[in-house]
Amino acid sequence: MLEIKNLHATVGGKEILKGVDLVVKSGEIHALMGQNGAGKSTLSNVLVGHPAYTVTEGTVTFNGKDLLAMTPDERSHEGLFLSFQQPVEIPGVSMVNFMRAALNAKRKYQGLEPLDASAFLKLMREKRKIVELDNKLTSRSVNEGFSGGEKKRNEIFQMALLEPTLSILDETDSGLDVDALRIVAEGFNKLRTPQTAAIVITHYQRLLDYLKPDVVHVLIDGRIVKTGGPELALEIEQRGFDWIKEEA
Amino acid sequence: MNQYLEFFRTQRQRIDGNSHPVLNAHREAAAAAFERLGFPSQKVERYKYTDVATAFAPNYGISLSGTTDSLRKTESPDNPLALSHYGTLADVDADAITALNTMLVQEVSIIHIPAGIHRENPIQVTHTLHSTAPLMQNRRLLIVAEAGAHVQVLLNERADEGQDFLTTQVTEVFVGEGAHVEIYDIESTHERCHRFHQLFADVAAGGRFTHATFTLSGGLTRNQTDVRLSGEGAEVNLLGCAITDGQQHVDNNTLIDHRAPGCRSRELYKYVVDQQSTGAFAGRVLVRQEAQRTDSEERNANLVCTDEARMWTQPMLEIYADDVKCSHGSTVGQLNDDALFYLRQRGISEAEARTLLKQAFASEVINEIPLEALRQRLHAMVEKRFRSCEDCRLCKKG
Ligand SMILES: Nc1ncnc2c1ncn2[C@@H]1O[C@H](COP(=O)(O)OP(=O)(O)OP(=O)(O)O)[C@@H](O)[C@H]1O
Ligand SMILES: [Mg+2]
Repeated sequence: MLEIKNLHATVGGKEILKGVDLVVKSGEIHALMGQNGAGKSTLSNVLVGHPAYTVTEGTVTFNGKDLLAMTPDERSHEGLFLSFQQPVEIPGVSMVNFMRAALNAKRKYQGLEPLDASAFLKLMREKRKIVELDNKLTSRSVNEGFSGGEKKRNEIFQMALLEPTLSILDETDSGLDVDALRIVAEGFNKLRTPQTAAIVITHYQRLLDYLKPDVVHVLIDGRIVKTGGPELALEIEQRGFDWIKEEA
Repeated sequence: MNQYLEFFRTQRQRIDGNSHPVLNAHREAAAAAFERLGFPSQKVERYKYTDVATAFAPNYGISLSGTTDSLRKTESPDNPLALSHYGTLADVDADAITALNTMLVQEVSIIHIPAGIHRENPIQVTHTLHSTAPLMQNRRLLIVAEAGAHVQVLLNERADEGQDFLTTQVTEVFVGEGAHVEIYDIESTHERCHRFHQLFADVAAGGRFTHATFTLSGGLTRNQTDVRLSGEGAEVNLLGCAITDGQQHVDNNTLIDHRAPGCRSRELYKYVVDQQSTGAFAGRVLVRQEAQRTDSEERNANLVCTDEARMWTQPMLEIYADDVKCSHGSTVGQLNDDALFYLRQRGISEAEARTLLKQAFASEVINEIPLEALRQRLHAMVEKRFRSCEDCRLCKKG
């Protein structure tokens, strides 16, 4: 599904990604771990086409297509979704208008008719249930005045609506209380199918307990230096990253 | 300038003949003031952002038989009480355009709400400029809300396509003790329209005045709004939203004069300035020595969408009292890149994302309006303004 080869990228003239290689297949969940500043969010942002990041070398193919040649909205339509580490507040744009515009843009891309207002609201109600998102939140402006945890829950709600094939969760667990984490993780699991895959960035084992990753990667200084099974995450929880750095 | 004076001198009889004697009684002094003042140059502080002389230079026809039908509906020329207010706020000696209007105007629309009366539905006044040749129209509106009266007024201005129009309008508003007056003024004309509006309001003790002006489209627009808070506890809320593109120019110039203690003023103007258009906002808040316990907030926020677009902003706070709470500020910026990217990640195209964010920016002003139906209409009009290409006059021009 996703194949990253020797990816180098800079931001503000500084090289952050220094040759990332990663292959993700349908049905898989990959955990991506690494210390603060290692480049995890940079990798996510590069994949979804954030204009502040410049790819200087390497290739990314997504379902056989050249991902890097697509605009951010095309990448989204092709099935790529990023649950942002820090979702932005957009005063004045209502959640309803935002999500309807997003969903109908995708439907148009797929050659489908736009959903009318009532069908859309019905769909929204269904999807809200998956992450138990409060009705009050979807009647407000996008993320405006949402608590940290509510913003994260809202990200997974959007994912539920857009039904991406590859989701990147950038520290979706941070900011969620213990119960909220369970609800959001279980919601995420309900959205999984054999055709979907995910890259889950996290610092903690708790989320991985729910999501059960197939593969765990460690990113250090812009490179994936170690890859293992779920036990690698447990080991990191115990021992930190220093031993991996020494190995590498 | 001479063409207007000459027109006045030569057509005086016909002008007077079709007008109310109260209007005629003010003409001579207005003509003298206009002759003395002349059109303000851009050296005159309040006119520094708009080239008035050039706007008034072409030869426009002036209709001598009165103005539009819609005006007549609200017109009650034999309302001596209301007419006794005529020209008492709009000082011809202080402003050339007010003088010019007073010299030539032939009709006054009067909205008079007697004491204690609450008008249930808003009064709507629509001006549609029709003409087969370049036309100048001079309009006058007089609103008198006696003590405790409530009224909402909706003004719509439109114009026939493909014609040059020049309008002057002088509005005098008297907000009595404890009265509430709200005026919502929507301009949707086109690039060949020049508009000069002067509004003067006086708010008595405990009165409340709201004025919102939406410039959705037009050519050259100058709105001057002067509000006097003259009784204790009076309140004013001034709102403005301008959406400009092409060669459009919008200049809002406001003065809030705190003359009495314990008054409150709020002011919010937002502009979205695109292509080669220009916007200007100058808002002066004057807090006189006797206006203790003044509470005033003024804000002007602007989105400038291209390198060629220009925005001038000048909030001014002048305080002579010591016990006051005042703030003012202005910002000029572009769309938030993070917000833009967030929308695009969710599959919304760049153009659509920009439209949504511009609409969101303008919606802050619309959401201040208490009338639900009007809010909805304005949201729709603003959306259409940002979105529609079929109706877009720029595309039409080719
Ligand atoms: N827009 C930017 N401008 C300048 N530097 C940036 C920008 N974005 C990221 N960086 C820098 O790139 C490096 C990698 O940042 P990144 O956000 O990818 O780290 P991370 O692995 O996600 O860390 P964390 O675990 O703290 O979220 C950091 O040193 C960061 O300061
Ligand atoms: Mg990060």
